[in-house]
Amino acid sequence: MTPSSTFLSLAGPGVPVSFSGEMGHPQTKCSPKPRKVFSSFSKKLLPLQRHSINGLNFKRRNSLLSFAFGKEANDNFFSDVGEDTDDMYDELLSNYGEVVYKRKDQKPASAELDDDAESLSFAVELATVASEVKAGDIKVLFVKPLVYWTRFFIIATAFSRPQIDAIGSRIRDRAEKKYGKIPSGDTKPNSWMLLDFGDVVVHLFLPPQRAFYNLEEFYGNATLVELPFENEQPFRNEGAYGLLDDAES
Amino acid sequence: MIQPQTYLNVADNSGARELMCIRIIGASNRRYAYIGDIVVAVIKKAVPNSSLERSEVIRAVIVRTCKELKRSNGIIIKYDDNAAVLVDKEGNPKGTRIFSAIARELRQLNFTKIVSLAPEVL
Repeated sequence: MTPSSTFLSLAGPGVPVSFSGEMGHPQTKCSPKPRKVFSSFSKKLLPLQRHSINGLNFKRRNSLLSFAFGKEANDNFFSDVGEDTDDMYDELLSNYGEVVYKRKDQKPASAELDDDAESLSFAVELATVASEVKAGDIKVLFVKPLVYWTRFFIIATAFSRPQIDAIGSRIRDRAEKKYGKIPSGDTKPNSWMLLDFGDVVVHLFLPPQRAFYNLEEFYGNATLVELPFENEQPFRNEGAYGLLDDAES
Repeated sequence: MIQPQTYLNVADNSGARELMCIRIIGASNRRYAYIGDIVVAVIKKAVPNSSLERSEVIRAVIVRTCKELKRSNGIIIKYDDNAAVLVDKEGNPKGTRIFSAIARELRQLNFTKIVSLAPEVL
């Protein structure tokens, strides 16, 4: 079973739409009225269709619709879309705009930035805590552009299970005291300990596991965040890099 | 709906190809497993020269099911195969990468490790 052949269908409550990698036959159950809206403003909507993700689906649907109109044209196409309905649609369009640009419940850009800054300070704080307990090779990745489910990854190496436990409990304490956040994830010391704070996810690895899973390479496109303590103690970093090189080789 | 004797595809690069469910972890008389449940399975097919062999008994987390998954907002997700990811007793995945899309419910069920290795989360 190759992954590309995996078929996936998502169905909303209203109109079931199925899509797949192989492009089957998209079927929509539109009532006659919305069809007419769609066709009468299809020229105006065309740029939106081009930008939409499943543009191919739209094109097919369009052709399906035009066929339907060919059949329906004889009886009720011109009679239904009279001037009254045009006026009504004009009014609706002037009230609500021609196309949907974005959802209304989205936050403005400034609020997003504020949220990011808050998570960033939280992530840097956690990384500092990890470095206080002598975790090696700490990296903070800004993964928000890559995955939707979190904002920052903290990846760090610990050199024994007791140390993983120590770093984990220290991070947990600091997060609870200072920020009031309680992580989900592992509670027992593990060769890969994961603490999930929602928008910040902390990964603590033993050196072999870090090389095995190689998360940094998987999230290679993420931007690295500069850490304040990196330049202060070069001797600790040297040691960490030395050990990591051993693990990788 | 995964029950004993169900064949599952493997959605990671651990080396196994096909599994057969032999037990569902949970209550004593549990019938079916859904997305995010742990099952005991036996490897029916494996990639040659990998660390895992045929007829080995392992634990796996279900990540895709043909049975539809309903969300409270009305979205229904159904895949066209049943697939699982091999894990060890501590919950660490045996493979290093997951293939194709998985559902975000796995994160709420404390499988964030699997989610963080996946290329796409629905």
